Amino acid sequence: MIIHKIQRRYQWLWILCGFVGLTFPVETIAQQTVPLVNSVLDGTVIDAATKEPLAGATIDIAGITHSTKTDENGKFRFVTGQKFPYTLIVTYIGYKTINIVADGSPITIALEQDATLLEDVVVVGYGTQSRRDLVGSVSTIKADETKQIPVGSFDAQLQGKAAGLQISSNTGVPGEGIFIRVRGTTSINANNDPLYIVDGIFLNNTSLQTVSTGGKETSPIADINPSDIESIEVLKDASATAIYGARGANGVVIVTTKRGSFNTKPVIGFNATHGWAHAPKIWDIASGPENAALLNESWINSGIDNPALNQTYENRPFRPVEEGGRGTPEEQETYDRLGDVFRTAQLQNYDLTLQGGNNSTRYYIGAGYNRQESIMQPVYFERSSFKLNLDQQISDRVQIGLSNGVSRTFRNQARAGDGPQGGMFQTALLVATYLPKNNPDGTPAKWGPWDNLDVLLNNYDVTTANLRYIGNIHADVEILPDLKFRTSFGVDYNNYEEAEYWNSLTLIGAPPTNGRATSAISQNSTWLTEQTLTYRKNWGQHRFGALIGNSLQGDIRKTTSAEGTDFANDSFKLIASAANRISNQFWTQSKLASFFSRVDYNYAGKYYIEVAARADGSSRFGGNNKWGYFPSVGVSWRAKAESFLADVDVIDDLKLRASYGLAGNQNIGDFAARGLWSGGAGYPDIVGGGDKPGTAPQQLANRDLKWERTRQVNVGLDISLLRQRLNIEFNLYHKHTKDALLQLPLPSTTGFGSYYSNEGEIINKGYEIGIQAVNIRHENFQWQTSFNLSGNTNHIKKLNAPINVYSRDWIRMQEGYPMYSFWLYNQLYVDPSTGDAVFEDVNGDGQITVADRQIMGNALPDFYGGITNNFTYRSWDLGVLFTFQYGNDVYNMNEFFDMAGGTRPDRFAIANSTKRWQKPGDVTDVPRFTTVGNNYRLEQNSRLLEDGSFLRLQSLTLGYTLPNRIAERIKSKSLRVYLVGSNLWLLTRYSGLDPESNVSNGQNVQGLDFGTPPQPRTIQLGIQLSI
Amino acid sequence: MNIKLFLCYIPALLAALSCNSFLEVEPQQSISDEATITNSTSAETAVRGMYRALAAENYYGTTFQSIGYLSGDNIEWTGSRATAGQFVNHDVRADNESVAAVWSAIYNTINRTNHIIDKVAVLPLEPTFTQEKKNQLLGEAYFVRALAYFDLARLWGGVPLYLNPTSTSTDNRGLPRSSVEETFAQVLRDLDEAEILLPETTNRIRATRKTAWALKARYYLYQKNWEQVEDYATRIIDDEANYRLLQPYGAFFMNDAVATAESVFELAYSATNTNGHRGNWQPPQLGGTRQWAPNAEFVTLVTNPAIGGNRSVLVDRTSDGRWYGNLYYRSPATDPAYIIRIAELYLIRAEARAQQGGAKLEGAQLDLQAVRSRAGLVSSGTATQNGLLLAIENERRIEFAFEPHRWFDLIRTGRAAEVLGLTDSRRYVLPIPADQILVDRALIQNDGYN
Repeated sequence: MIIHKIQRRYQWLWILCGFVGLTFPVETIAQQTVPLVNSVLDGTVIDAATKEPLAGATIDIAGITHSTKTDENGKFRFVTGQKFPYTLIVTYIGYKTINIVADGSPITIALEQDATLLEDVVVVGYGTQSRRDLVGSVSTIKADETKQIPVGSFDAQLQGKAAGLQISSNTGVPGEGIFIRVRGTTSINANNDPLYIVDGIFLNNTSLQTVSTGGKETSPIADINPSDIESIEVLKDASATAIYGARGANGVVIVTTKRGSFNTKPVIGFNATHGWAHAPKIWDIASGPENAALLNESWINSGIDNPALNQTYENRPFRPVEEGGRGTPEEQETYDRLGDVFRTAQLQNYDLTLQGGNNSTRYYIGAGYNRQESIMQPVYFERSSFKLNLDQQISDRVQIGLSNGVSRTFRNQARAGDGPQGGMFQTALLVATYLPKNNPDGTPAKWGPWDNLDVLLNNYDVTTANLRYIGNIHADVEILPDLKFRTSFGVDYNNYEEAEYWNSLTLIGAPPTNGRATSAISQNSTWLTEQTLTYRKNWGQHRFGALIGNSLQGDIRKTTSAEGTDFANDSFKLIASAANRISNQFWTQSKLASFFSRVDYNYAGKYYIEVAARADGSSRFGGNNKWGYFPSVGVSWRAKAESFLADVDVIDDLKLRASYGLAGNQNIGDFAARGLWSGGAGYPDIVGGGDKPGTAPQQLANRDLKWERTRQVNVGLDISLLRQRLNIEFNLYHKHTKDALLQLPLPSTTGFGSYYSNEGEIINKGYEIGIQAVNIRHENFQWQTSFNLSGNTNHIKKLNAPINVYSRDWIRMQEGYPMYSFWLYNQLYVDPSTGDAVFEDVNGDGQITVADRQIMGNALPDFYGGITNNFTYRSWDLGVLFTFQYGNDVYNMNEFFDMAGGTRPDRFAIANSTKRWQKPGDVTDVPRFTTVGNNYRLEQNSRLLEDGSFLRLQSLTLGYTLPNRIAERIKSKSLRVYLVGSNLWLLTRYSGLDPESNVSNGQNVQGLDFGTPPQPRTIQLGIQLSI
Repeated sequence: MNIKLFLCYIPALLAALSCNSFLEVEPQQSISDEATITNSTSAETAVRGMYRALAAENYYGTTFQSIGYLSGDNIEWTGSRATAGQFVNHDVRADNESVAAVWSAIYNTINRTNHIIDKVAVLPLEPTFTQEKKNQLLGEAYFVRALAYFDLARLWGGVPLYLNPTSTSTDNRGLPRSSVEETFAQVLRDLDEAEILLPETTNRIRATRKTAWALKARYYLYQKNWEQVEDYATRIIDDEANYRLLQPYGAFFMNDAVATAESVFELAYSATNTNGHRGNWQPPQLGGTRQWAPNAEFVTLVTNPAIGGNRSVLVDRTSDGRWYGNLYYRSPATDPAYIIRIAELYLIRAEARAQQGGAKLEGAQLDLQAVRSRAGLVSSGTATQNGLLLAIENERRIEFAFEPHRWFDLIRTGRAAEVLGLTDSRRYVLPIPADQILVDRALIQNDGYN
């Protein structure tokens, strides 16, 4: 009867289980037997410190499905078929779970408060520390909190989760590179991404992409399955990063993957989600008649402005057909292309894991499959991954461990960036809406420099498949009880295969090219070996630790590519069938040798000092400066351990920290310091003789080239209040980068555009606030909030000459200004009487020239952060994450191309045109449409610079966990069903689709919104099961 | 250092390794710049590299050429890059990317010539490296440097003259601009040198003594030294065995023709080293972007049988009625860059003769007619000096419509104001690229661009 009731009550769950492919035979539930009583156990559960009874604690008997709870007096009773002794598992929210053996009744069980945050083990460089003893500034993120956010790579999922970590998604294409900075941007020409370390392997995060997707790049981080990740640590201050020396200046992201536990029964975990994504907003485009009328208006206005153009009302393009025109505007049809390119995309994710261990072996096995379609056709991202982590205790003193991750990633790609040919988005957006999709004869019509959208949708054939292995083997040897040795060898191997085929219907493959196929195979292999010795000893109140180690690393990257054109017909797709074939090869190598050491000491858990240093030798640098040295020192004072705070109950912990040190950046080309001549500049000796080899100067040497060095000062305060229910971390930092690796512009008269030198200086300074609060901690209802806010100001302290970035030099790096500043003509207003834009004449010479361009705004936010609220009510859980950025500017490049006053023939897409000046007296900032003068010909108009601040509901998760007794009956440890929504709501004043959109993955390009789809709005349904 | 050594010896793994040899990695794709031109083979490869620079996208590949024709009156801008439109509208700004690109492409070529001139001159002779070979390679470098400074002077007026190779980052910067006269004088010095060193052979894709003569003819035209123009042009025109006007006009470029008898000097491209020029001209249907296109006025002229004649093959029309230029059309994109054609030598000799007037007018008329006849046209019917000069000017407009002549012609003849309506003579030269002025304070901007 009861069973039937339960079945009815949870009928919908069964339906859901069936829906995701899981069916459990009902018979398993029906097999109930009458219990045989062998023992009766009475017990009490109390708080270990206060000795108060605890009501609502859960007591399970290990190995069987018998569970009970304490009453309001903390008492419980078991009547069971088990004979003494047996093991009890006692859990209570806010307390540590304990296993205790019951060998007779009654029993009193004392639970210790779970001081999770302070006792948390934090992974730091070459070791771990408890958060209580931490001297450096380190953020920890549990991957479980973010892994459901539907983006390709785990780094993109971290947005809003850690103070000091600025992340901008750049695009709505899954698996593409993102913008990520730890405490600001420190370099102009050396890569600014943090150093990624996965299980001790320095992860290569340079995209191997060679095919063009309009300036976009795939993210190598997306090869890692976020579900295999246990935790992510972000090392931020010099005390934490200096141990990574030459590569620490951009911060370090340490990823620890899941491992089994010794003496644990096998647990099978299964997680499945299915979801849907769509564009939260699409551009408002002008209809065919509107578009045509606007063109007429621009035509006539231009004719008035410059009579020589001979553009009049009489010869306007959209006049009646009988007058020789294209028909009146009203007669034009509207052909919508945007609707064709967007779709409701499907998202799928499946993970299956097995973990456990006996007394000498532990294991974690994970298999995952993830498929995410982009809301833009035909793009999708697919990853199959396999993970095996194994640890084996060989003797009391020796343990070896293995980490292996293999993944196969497949991408169906399209150009979602700059450039007209094959540009999926631009084709949909920039072709005038009155232009038909097909010619009168039914063939696909192409307009302007764009492809026919239907042709693209049906023929796009750009794919990438890569195979990635990331693995590490290590051995830990306990030489003496206090002295441990670890040796490890790791490999990161990536085989990246790209193929493109543009058939003769596409512009790129159109006759006379007759099909263009490219194939590129790139490989990246990194090997790394490390040896460390750690010593840890306590003498009374003196606690001392020391670490020394060395590492050797080598990287090789190579690409072999081929291209074929002129195919007999579109059925042939391999280069072997092409009439013209060319090939190419690329190879580069670098090596790094390092020595590092760290010494830490504390007295009675009160006074801490930690000194670290690393020496790095790199093959990349000039003969005179191959070695760099990076020291740091950190101190902290745990005031709580002093007697005067010992009795202040409200404060659970109070710690002051300070650190100072150097870290470096060496992310430049492997041979950047060399004077080089290149080959390949071939030319024939005689007519028809074919190219013979040629050589030419390539770059100038700089034997003095050295590391970029960032000196960082950090002061911080950690405070824990109200029985650790309120934890606050506050940091102030100042990062001063000197000897910035810079492609210093050279006068072109040298024959070179630039050369690598250590010239610039950049300063980042900022603050970080992190708050974690347990607002409500009740047996049935918990509410936790974590909040982080970071502000960073960046400015270029020294730069000999400005560096312009991107086409039309929209972005400029200039001394005294922040990076990613926009360089524009300042449109003051639109003259209400003439409709002409009036620009600021900075030098007052009466004309608007280059000298009047000025730095206006920049793409970096003043502050950013996130707020997470987690609620649990009985079996329900709800997580809400908001992310925000404030003060960043975005240049609306879509509008620039789309609403250009008629200067770009046929293009009038954005219905924002209604704001244009039309008649005297109109007050607007959109100038009168004309192709003459500065209104639209001046390509760097400040009018298009917009405030990109936003507040986004990044994710919302609602879950329901089946009560234990029900879960047990279906032979599972736990079962949770959940719903995840992402990007459900966005508050911004930006008029484009997404203030995070960016046209390129170029590291100095930020805040240019063009050609890329917005981040999707998604809903996913999931089930999480462990057996 | 002691600490480093100490640490070096701790791990057993490292005992056998010297840290510094571990850190030596040699590039495989490039070679060190310390030993680049050391023998016959490396001298030859460097010379080929120099031609590749001359043929680079931003020099004779596309951009330099485009400035020459966009700034004239035949082309309209139809694409998305306003930089091209600035030339059409004669409103070039100092931050124009094409201006900066051409400036650096030309100086890049000059640096390559300087390396050759500096290093080949001191190479010892060997059985495989004869004096003739050495002279030829040096002569080619002098010729290319002459052409490069000639183009700089045409575009910007006087420029800084750098005649030595760049070996370090402090070389070849900080010199003030020379005057136009000094710049042209350097062109002549290099041309004289080239003329002496180069062999008198025919090679349409490399410089020979005859190529130097042809460029000298053009050089003297710009210097208005009419006798010299006649002298040097005649040397080529008289070499009928090797150089002649092909019938019809299209024969020098249609049907994938390369290095025809029409060509005195052109640059060769291949499937590996392509010429992107076509992409700017061809319509999307043919895989281009049609950044610019022949304007209505020019289409009217060139398709008029009495004016364009058989030169109407220069333009074509898409199915939706848009005109496009069709001089650069091949796939793979191997269209040659035409630098000097025999037609030019006829027309510059015609101009020199017309300028001298009197008895020479008849010769001028014959030279002009040679080009017209080839285009399938009858005589222009003018015999007066002024009439002839105008007829030559108009002939050049059509004949070299998509080659970089029209703008330079109107500037050197002082006709830009009248023909283009461009009265502000400060616009007759381009601005020095704004970013170059920032990195080299010795560069002074041209008037009107500050």
